[in-house]
Amino acid sequence: MGKNTVPCVLNNDLKTQIMKAKILVVGAGGIGCEILKNLSLSGFQDIEIIDLDTIDVSNLNRQFLFRKEHVGKSKAVVARESILTFNSTINVKAYHDSIFNPEYGVNFFKQFSLILNALDNRAARNHVNRMCLAADIPLIESGTAGYSGQVELIKKGVTQCYECQPKSQQRSFPGCTIRNTPSEPVHCIVWAKHLFNQLFGEEDPDQEVSPDTEDPELKKDGTFTETESGNVKRTSTRQWAQEIKYDPEKLFNKFFQDDIKYLLSMENLWKTRKPPVPISWEKSIKQVDGSSDKEIANSVDMQIWSLSKCSQVFADTVSILKEELGTIAGNIIPAIATANALIAGLVVLYAFRVLQDEFQKCPAIYLRQKSVYSRVILATDNDLQKANPNCYVCSSKPLVNVFVNVNNMTVNEFENEILKNTLNMVAPDVILDGKGVVVISSEAGETEVNNNKKLSELGIIDGSILKADDFLQSYELTININHYEAKEKDDPLFKFIANPAELKAKQDGVENGTAVKMDDDSKKESSNENEDDDDNDLVFVDNDFPQASSSKRRKLNPSVEDDDLILLEELVD
Amino acid sequence: MGEKQLSSAEAELYDRQIRLWGIESQEKLRAANVLLIGIRGLGSEIAKNILLSGINSLTILDDGLITEDDLLHNFLLTESTAVGKKIAEEVLARAQALNPLVKIITDTESVTAKSPEFFHNFTIVVATKIKVDSIIKIDNICRERNVKFIYGDVFGLFGFSVADFQEHDYFEDRIQLTAGRKRGHDGEKKTVKVKGNISYPSLNKVLILPNTKQDTVFVKKLARPSNLFACLLTLLEFKKQHHRDPDYEKKNEDIEKLKIIAADIIELYNFTNLNMDSLYELLFGELIPVCAIVGGVMAQEVIKAVSHKEVTINNIFLFDPITYSGKELTVGA
Repeated sequence: MGKNTVPCVLNNDLKTQIMKAKILVVGAGGIGCEILKNLSLSGFQDIEIIDLDTIDVSNLNRQFLFRKEHVGKSKAVVARESILTFNSTINVKAYHDSIFNPEYGVNFFKQFSLILNALDNRAARNHVNRMCLAADIPLIESGTAGYSGQVELIKKGVTQCYECQPKSQQRSFPGCTIRNTPSEPVHCIVWAKHLFNQLFGEEDPDQEVSPDTEDPELKKDGTFTETESGNVKRTSTRQWAQEIKYDPEKLFNKFFQDDIKYLLSMENLWKTRKPPVPISWEKSIKQVDGSSDKEIANSVDMQIWSLSKCSQVFADTVSILKEELGTIAGNIIPAIATANALIAGLVVLYAFRVLQDEFQKCPAIYLRQKSVYSRVILATDNDLQKANPNCYVCSSKPLVNVFVNVNNMTVNEFENEILKNTLNMVAPDVILDGKGVVVISSEAGETEVNNNKKLSELGIIDGSILKADDFLQSYELTININHYEAKEKDDPLFKFIANPAELKAKQDGVENGTAVKMDDDSKKESSNENEDDDDNDLVFVDNDFPQASSSKRRKLNPSVEDDDLILLEELVD
Repeated sequence: MGEKQLSSAEAELYDRQIRLWGIESQEKLRAANVLLIGIRGLGSEIAKNILLSGINSLTILDDGLITEDDLLHNFLLTESTAVGKKIAEEVLARAQALNPLVKIITDTESVTAKSPEFFHNFTIVVATKIKVDSIIKIDNICRERNVKFIYGDVFGLFGFSVADFQEHDYFEDRIQLTAGRKRGHDGEKKTVKVKGNISYPSLNKVLILPNTKQDTVFVKKLARPSNLFACLLTLLEFKKQHHRDPDYEKKNEDIEKLKIIAADIIELYNFTNLNMDSLYELLFGELIPVCAIVGGVMAQEVIKAVSHKEVTINNIFLFDPITYSGKELTVGA
């Protein structure tokens, strides 16, 4: 019999529920550590933790169950050891593993009274959402970004699910902006990230870094004609880099001199913009710009480098990366200890209510940064958010309309870009409805022959219906295929719509001859950039907030226009 | 302050938070000397959060002894710690492990034995679990030298904080889009530093209880009577009369005592239409998740007060034990 740490103020029924409950905490990062502390000091006797991440120095300023000597070790394992020192009589099980592992199927989830998510990426959140729906186990979802945060209950048949509301996709940029006319620092970061992938990561033709001759702006006056000598030869960047053995000088001269010179030849682009200046390796290393290193702090991370230092670091890094490959992160707002602690406190207060089936008393709660315009720090919704009847995950017959170019997209691209990266399936089986054609099989090797075929080659055309089934997630999805060809510069490669009403509106738009312009939500160039993020609780700006729909949710970075909204909200309050 | 640069070890450890609040704030934090009075449930949460943030020094003042309850609920103690030892000394090892870069001083004297000069040594004083007389006294001492002060407490599911940051200057970064273009790919964003000032009333004008010599002219009628503010005052008066927190072992008896006090508070403030009946049951014990919430808010206020970055709460924070919402209430200004 364990020690009784159940808080006295709770009623007897709840005290019993707490002693009996079996809880799974998914993620042992910033919020996870705080939740685990709260659970172990509030009478919970049976706790399991899963996290595939290891401890990094930069975690230690908030993931307080870890110390310097733990760096490099499993978060789940060390978190377990730490909370056992608060109370050694509780049962704690740690899994140093990915929640996507097929071992954690519906039956695994069914053994718990309640699942608490403390994750840092949307892909894993979507997956746990589906597992909890399939197992019919309540899920408390939480997240923080800087001073803000949120807690939300997800319970099948009672609330909306994590995927009921279309979320703003990770911000993506038109290829020509990145390759030809970057204007914000973030464009340069995206370019660098693409360059990294071209050279060392997963090659992706949509992440080309060299000048884009398809830029619609070039065609405006028709002055630019593609010259054979100027354009980069259409061997892939990777192939070329390998041929020159990743010679840093040659790489540098291509990206910062030759490509820039070529860009300058696209005169249309520089009529209103400041043209870029090509720089050669020889000049840059001699510091021709007269810049010098500026130290902001006595730290490797906080200095402004001179051009020659940048070039040198480029060369050194290329040499190291040639040997070691890895991945990098995207848009991030860092998480802090105070917001994590606050959110984790609310998570456990809601856990108390969920254990008593008091679901109606668990509307979403938002932590907001204090502003001069608002007195509310913790805002609660008035009611539970109702499920979206057209949700392509939790409705009774999940259905989605996908718009793709069936003559261009391969089965492999369809599986990876759409089914896995966008619709978050893990191992889908797909058949073409009515024809019985197996398009994709989760069994290795069974449908490999289809991989490089275009969709249309398999008979998938406008109006086709696909049945996709993910066994692990117990998730069946009907996919209506719509042929679509990207026309405008900013058009995405593909898009999807779950709500039939929305679809109707778009079709009407077409009939009336107006341009069909998809909103940002359906735009998607690359997804799950964060999946392999090695800093567990850095949070992604756009990712962490399930419902953009609630008025209680405040924009992370209120701009001037948004302040009016906040004032209005206060009046209603 | 801030003339010495952060070491590379500090920059590495604090990397993520510096990305949020900037290096200037971090340098102000690292120059800050914080006094924390009371290291029970709420105190341990505040200690954790501000140690992690990277202040210069933390002085933990608590003359209390360890109880059974502390061993069950305080993560700064280990299971093997003996009941009856001085709590301030026993939390040291774990507190230090949270951040080896912060100087931690433990002090087992009584708060009432401390001279005014003692308090003047600090950048900010954070108090939990002290009586209202001490709150007012310490606040007055802090005011003599512009030492910032915040007090907070947790009673069951209810919690609050009360701040006196005196004349407090702050700035915040606001992101503005340049005029003309909005949200376009080429629209330029500009970060603007906006300065502000909040004038906090002294706490003898904020926490006014019945039957005191204090001048009740300071009792300002609130625009809307607040159940939770009345509850806060009721609990302070209870502590003053009974020299303890409400006790779960004497629950029914203590609820009757609270009701009598609440009636006096309502009369003094002329709060009409207040009904606190649903609250009394919820005021017993020190719930760890509530300590985490109030401790998170208070530590964030300490960080904001010390770094002068971002808008602080003026002057009371109230955590609702029923809805779990949390709001600012301005009293006495």
